[in-house]
Amino acid sequence: MIEVNNITKKFFLPKSLKETLFSPFKKNKEIIALSNVSLKLEQGKILALLGPNGAGKTTFIKILATLILPDSGTAKIFGYDLITQTQQIKSKVGIVLGEEKGFYWRLTGRQNLEFFGILYELPKAKLRKRIADIANLLEIDDLDKPYQTYSTGMKHRFGLARCLIAEPEIIFMDEPTKSLDPKNSHQLRIFIKEKIVRKLGRTIIFTTHQTKEAETLADKIAIMDKGKIRAFGELNEINHRLGLREDAPLEETFLKIMQAEENES
Amino acid sequence: MNLNFFRKAFVFLKRDLLINASYKFAFLFDLGSIIFSVLTFFFVARLFGEKALIYLTNYGGDYFSFVLIGIAFSGYLSTAMNSFCQTISEEQAYGTLEAIILSPTKISTLVICGSIWNFLFTSLRIIVYLILGWLFFGLDLSKINLVSSMIILILTIISFSSLGIISAGLVLVLKRGDPINWLFNGLSRFLGGVYFPISILPLWVQKISLFLPLTHSLEGVRKSLILGTSIKELTPQIFMLSIYILIFLPLGILGFKAAIKRAKKDGSLIYT
Repeated sequence: MIEVNNITKKFFLPKSLKETLFSPFKKNKEIIALSNVSLKLEQGKILALLGPNGAGKTTFIKILATLILPDSGTAKIFGYDLITQTQQIKSKVGIVLGEEKGFYWRLTGRQNLEFFGILYELPKAKLRKRIADIANLLEIDDLDKPYQTYSTGMKHRFGLARCLIAEPEIIFMDEPTKSLDPKNSHQLRIFIKEKIVRKLGRTIIFTTHQTKEAETLADKIAIMDKGKIRAFGELNEINHRLGLREDAPLEETFLKIMQAEENES
Repeated sequence: MNLNFFRKAFVFLKRDLLINASYKFAFLFDLGSIIFSVLTFFFVARLFGEKALIYLTNYGGDYFSFVLIGIAFSGYLSTAMNSFCQTISEEQAYGTLEAIILSPTKISTLVICGSIWNFLFTSLRIIVYLILGWLFFGLDLSKINLVSSMIILILTIISFSSLGIISAGLVLVLKRGDPINWLFNGLSRFLGGVYFPISILPLWVQKISLFLPLTHSLEGVRKSLILGTSIKELTPQIFMLSIYILIFLPLGILGFKAAIKRAKKDGSLIYT
């Protein structure tokens, strides 16, 4: 369902004033965000992209969501090509960014959801029913408060709610529990696993720094660092390949991979 | 343009109205500031008195009417030059751009629909300018030719918007420092006949001002509003504004598409 082959992405750093003045023809410094990333994922699974800051996790999901173009490599989502069939892919995917912003703070929750629903070209009656159903599913009691007055946990639910309006098959989530307290993080994980994946049958790819989160939520894990996937698969498989106990915690797996990488470099 | 485009245009307009109305005082103060602008130019016009008459015979001979219309209608140029790129940067700041791009909404639709409120608000400001001038300061609009005024107005908005789309494309690529905005918005205020008729300028400078759409727009608007000039007599202005549209609108659309593609490639559309 998702098949990624050798995706590479570089970004160029802007020149400093000194460089612009004294070396105007020198090429901008480049950062390799992703280097030959490949993976396959089946429908209805949860994949965690685990890695330190700057590993390329967010760039990877934004490329798969068609928001950024890769420099090279190919990817197919539901058989559609990532570069040439973006419209078809857009209708199948949604993204939730783990930030409180992303909505119009002066509008109410309902006004925000209706705004995005119309951008998704949903008929009015269908949109209203869908908003009510999603609010019920995500246990959002009051849709008519200004967005700025909702708690952080509730704002995260609105991010999910907006994404679900379009009924995407695949949901990309960038650090879904960022800035949430332990209780709200736990609740959101249950929402994701029980309601979004098990009940609605969606596929989720999420980024995280937290080994515990990846371990409790994901079916498969991709450990990323410096733009590369260092390990990919189910946790017991990865542990087996690394010569660890199959039930070793993800933290141990992660540290072993990072240590091996440090030794290499 | 299909039905969904109009639904989207309406929902953008509703969003902007609700957001702006939630800042009630800013909204009212913005309109209220027009009073000070009108008062300032009323007394400046008094200062000039009849000395300005020889330069203003083509516009009814009154400096206050001349400058009031100049200031009011040049607002469309500022709106067109800033609104399109501002729409994108505001969505980036709100953090809503990703969600909008992922919906079946083209970036061109976002840019156009997100600017409707700004154009409507500019129109409201113009109406307030004209009403204040007419009610309290003797602005004479008794000869107004509504059809000519509307035609010039539509051509003005489209020609300025063509430049605004080019400007938005350049901002996407250059990030800051937009030469088109500097050239057309900045230079036009000086040479486009906002504060004084271009006949006051040296002949060679007058020739430069003829390359600016604002010059033709203001000429047409003043003549149709103050003198009631017919469409036929406004042919030179209509012709020049149409030429601008024919050249700059396709150029703007192509340039903007290329800029979006480049911004998607270098990640600057999403990473702010």
